[in-house]
Amino acid sequence: MDLSQLQSALASKSYEKIADICDEVMLQVEAHHFPKVASRGIVFQEEWPYAIHLLGHIYVNDLNSARFLWKSIPQGIKESRPELVAAWKIGQCLWNRDYAGVYGAIRGFEWSPEVIGLVTTFLENYTKKMFQLLTSAYSTITVADVAHFMGMSEDDATNYALQQGWTLDSSSQMLTVSKPKITTEQKLDPSKLQRLTEFVFHLEH
Amino acid sequence: MDSVEALVAHVQALSGNPEEVSHLHSLLKQSEDSLRSQASRLFPFLEQLDPSKHSLGYLYLLEAYSSGPLLEEQASGYLLTVVEFIDSCSAEQIRLAPDKFTSVCKSFKDQVMQLEVAIRGVAPLRTAIRKLQTSSEHLTTLHPDFLLLCLLSKCYKAGLSILDDDIFEVDQPRDLFLYCYYGGMINIGLKRFHKALECLHNVVTAPMTSLNAIAVEAFKKYVLVSLIHNGQVPSFPKYTSGTAQRNLKNYTQPYTDLANCYATGKFSELETSIQTNIEKFQADNNLGLVRQVLSSLYKRNIQRLTQTYLTLSLQDIAGAAQLKTPREAEMHVLRMIQDGEIFATINQKDGMVSFHEDPEQYKTCEMIEHIDSSIQRLMALSKKLSSIDEHISCDPAYLTKIGRERQRFDFDDFDSVPHKFLQT
Repeated sequence: MDLSQLQSALASKSYEKIADICDEVMLQVEAHHFPKVASRGIVFQEEWPYAIHLLGHIYVNDLNSARFLWKSIPQGIKESRPELVAAWKIGQCLWNRDYAGVYGAIRGFEWSPEVIGLVTTFLENYTKKMFQLLTSAYSTITVADVAHFMGMSEDDATNYALQQGWTLDSSSQMLTVSKPKITTEQKLDPSKLQRLTEFVFHLEH
Repeated sequence: MDSVEALVAHVQALSGNPEEVSHLHSLLKQSEDSLRSQASRLFPFLEQLDPSKHSLGYLYLLEAYSSGPLLEEQASGYLLTVVEFIDSCSAEQIRLAPDKFTSVCKSFKDQVMQLEVAIRGVAPLRTAIRKLQTSSEHLTTLHPDFLLLCLLSKCYKAGLSILDDDIFEVDQPRDLFLYCYYGGMINIGLKRFHKALECLHNVVTAPMTSLNAIAVEAFKKYVLVSLIHNGQVPSFPKYTSGTAQRNLKNYTQPYTDLANCYATGKFSELETSIQTNIEKFQADNNLGLVRQVLSSLYKRNIQRLTQTYLTLSLQDIAGAAQLKTPREAEMHVLRMIQDGEIFATINQKDGMVSFHEDPEQYKTCEMIEHIDSSIQRLMALSKKLSSIDEHISCDPAYLTKIGRERQRFDFDDFDSVPHKFLQT
């Protein structure tokens, strides 16, 4: 089993590549694993880094693949690996849109040194994504809800929001959302525009 | 008749260049029967051949061997041999005998399924498809087998690697039916409902002279996915075969009832309608999809509100969407905003939601890239269509048939064929 690609992806923090690498190595290992006696590859499954594989799917927000992977893991392995179960707990919370549960699932487990970097980076991204969601979905929101969605104490949540330019009405404990102007890339390849112009010209004549 | 030993010697001597290989091919064809009669003793001879250099000869021996009875204790050694052969064989050589190659792969697939280790077949069959097909537009008979293994082993994502190719060439109609049906299921599993609809639509509207089970099952899923994705089931397009239009609904009554009930937008009624047919849905393995249909009704009802109102209280949304509390309505709205299904902002202070227009202004770089690539794709497709049209217009069988039918009408009713041909 050649896991060197996976190791180097973990080492270089290229976490977004992990799911694809694991998927591919798994298929290759399985294909070449017809043992002479029909022991059905038990050895392989016991050595496979399922927790990293599962977290790799979760990292790129591919919950469908995470769910299918979880379903295909033998019961015995699920029972003997607490980290795998903890990883799936994150997946479950995301699947059920239990926004706040994700923080609990991550903080409630002591992650091994192998995956801690991956989990921490995921948590950072997730917190940022949640804040973006709140920014786009709300015009006013209570401090309590921001704390709930961001997995922070009310004070931390308020400070975080104020730093992003939100304003606080302290009497009602209500935050007013400030939406940043989204600037999109407007520079265009002139040849594309030229081609579109030609199409329109062609259609009109 | 040559002995196996002599044949192996020929294979070793005649695998160098294309001419030799084609000579070898005719030798192999002549010894087919003798190989089959000695199937059980062929296995050791494979070791004398190099699968990458002597691919054609190796393939003939392997195929003859696999056609014989396979003992259980030999199975895993044989399967490993097939995997290594698929990995290392020369695509040029095996394409000379596509039937043999397909037969080896099919028996491999059957074995893997029998041993209940579908995942072991996924990577080999993917390689096999790539080696067998002459272009990525060619649907081989191995495509559906590959997708089936992906489904059984829950490696749905692996299936995408071939599902993303556009298919223009099909050998057997059955391959296309199965490919699209399994493809639809993979896309459903990955919640790519738009793509799933495309696949299932192809099954339902494919030409057919008699109804088949694949089309019936595909239609059931087509109804459910249409409801989840679009909230309604479109009527059959004109080009659907008469057979499908007349018969499909008769075989899928519970599904048609469900679609009619969905249209009323009433949650409790839909729930009752599902309960009445729950055993049928379960027997069809569609219960999971049916549940998704049910929960999509909340979403649909909220989406309908955005067409009428600019602002609405969470209380009213809860009422209209038959949700219990305003908080539940808020969570549904939040979820829909997250998924990009509506454009809205929630105002917790007043307990109101404002609905917005789609903010896309069609002037970003990305959008222009997108439009440009769509136009390119459509132009390529249209070129392909006219070249097929031209090809058919020159087809003698087609011309004879058209010519014969025309005699029953006035000559002026139709363009003459040569004239029509000139136009294209």
